Amino acid sequence: MRGLFLASACVCVLAVGVICVFLFANGLPFFRAYSPVAFVSGTEWAPLRDVFGILPMIVGSFYVTFGALLLGAPVGILTAILMSRFASRPVVRFMKPAVALLAGIPSVVYGFFGMIVLVPFVRHAFGGTGKSVLVASILLAIMILPTIIQTAEAAISAVPGSYYEGSLALGATHEGSVFRAVVPAARPGIVSGLVLGIGRAIGETTAIIMVAGNNPRMPGDILKGVRTLTVNVLMEMGYAADLHRESLIATGVVLFVIVLAINFLFSFINRRRVQQ
Amino acid sequence: MKLRKILALVLALTAVSAVALAEFDASKTIAVVSREEGSGTRGAFIELTGIATKDAEGKEVDNTYAEADFVNGTSLVMTTVAENEYAVGYASLSSVLHNESVKSIKVDGVEASTENILNQTYPIARPFNVVTKGELADPLAKDFMAFVMSADGQAVVAEDGLVPVAADAPAYTAANLSGNLSIGGSTSVAPVMELLVEAYSALNPNAVLDVQSTGSTAGVTGALDGTYGIGMASRALKDSEKEAGAVGTAIGIDGIAVIVSPVNPVENLSLEQVRQVFVGEITAWADLNQ
Repeated sequence: MRGLFLASACVCVLAVGVICVFLFANGLPFFRAYSPVAFVSGTEWAPLRDVFGILPMIVGSFYVTFGALLLGAPVGILTAILMSRFASRPVVRFMKPAVALLAGIPSVVYGFFGMIVLVPFVRHAFGGTGKSVLVASILLAIMILPTIIQTAEAAISAVPGSYYEGSLALGATHEGSVFRAVVPAARPGIVSGLVLGIGRAIGETTAIIMVAGNNPRMPGDILKGVRTLTVNVLMEMGYAADLHRESLIATGVVLFVIVLAINFLFSFINRRRVQQ
Repeated sequence: MKLRKILALVLALTAVSAVALAEFDASKTIAVVSREEGSGTRGAFIELTGIATKDAEGKEVDNTYAEADFVNGTSLVMTTVAENEYAVGYASLSSVLHNESVKSIKVDGVEASTENILNQTYPIARPFNVVTKGELADPLAKDFMAFVMSADGQAVVAEDGLVPVAADAPAYTAANLSGNLSIGGSTSVAPVMELLVEAYSALNPNAVLDVQSTGSTAGVTGALDGTYGIGMASRALKDSEKEAGAVGTAIGIDGIAVIVSPVNPVENLSLEQVRQVFVGEITAWADLNQ
């Protein structure tokens, strides 16, 4: 029985290990032909002339992820607080499956929704082509909502009842107790929900490719197009050959390193807070 | 009562926005839709319309408008254009011909049709040539060419999205030859050539044919010096190449249609205007003054 548990755990670890090895083995040869510094700091992407600069895509990935967090985090956290401390039981019984359903919608469906509904809406309301940083951020915000809500809700519900009751006993209102005593106590859980959300946003591809315009130049205006790292890989893999193809795998390596760095950074922050 | 009021308001708003949609506002920005880097259609389009220029080192520079909407796939180009009345895109003619959701516009006054591509009046088209040195002598090469120009071979060509050149070609009967044939040249022609080779090999299992994609110029040189039994070129032959004995035969023609939304009143653009739109020199529909 013990062996079965061990084997199950090994599958997961092995998958991570194998993916790491293969990604780096296939991606690193590119840097022998092309300078890594020029790759991550170059602002021009013209693969047919062998010019590979992915800084616009790195900035683009952070841009839409930040936008998604700006829109999604307040909505998600407030929804979680509502579900945990304010809503009546029938409302919660309706909301939980609704949020779970939101998490289960395939990203291509989100992309289609964005393309057919959000893009024309933004085009008519604000001008431009509609395919923009704004639409990509809105769509990603909706997509990361379930992750944030579910993690934050679990964290808030796990705060011991004595915190809330103690606050009430000191004369605080229901709102005051929830926002001043319960939510701060649940902060590590809420932060990890946000980190999971960031991870989902930065890795999303299919939905973004349909609404972002995918322009390989430095992003700027919120109503103009943007290309993320993930989109760069998926978009050009079909036709890429030789160095161009290797550059796309190297783009994947850069993305992988960024995601790893974000995860380490947040676990470091969390650990320091616990120690304090 | 309240619900009915809201419903009426929603209906009124929908009606207003529908009217707004139906009217084409020429002062709006042109939404340029292009394919991704590396796409064969994009490569052909930028070359034929002059969007591509050469830099000082002779390398090809793609000047496609940086603010264009880049999508990866013919069907996505068409969905994007159909959905945005201010968009303009391009796609291989074969995929546009049977699609009602987009409108292909005339270029230099010539409609994008199979007929106009065959009589060479439509400008955004290029022949896919096979190149041989004089008359073919090798029986296998001869038989393969007979297959390519037969009804069966031309059906493969049409299936790949090209305009076939031989309309009433005879059917092909397998001669079941054996031997080796090396085919090489244009990277654009190679995909359809591979399909042709596959179909031919199914009928002639003893023949061994291989396809190498090395570029049009290499295809012509290879055919002349005997490296390839048959060369491939996605452009017309140069005079110098013809003088050296190269003979080009079109096996199909690659046509690219410029497409807009059916709501768009624009019917015709000059080739120069198409270039200006796709490099971003003209950005509003009103500036096109047709």
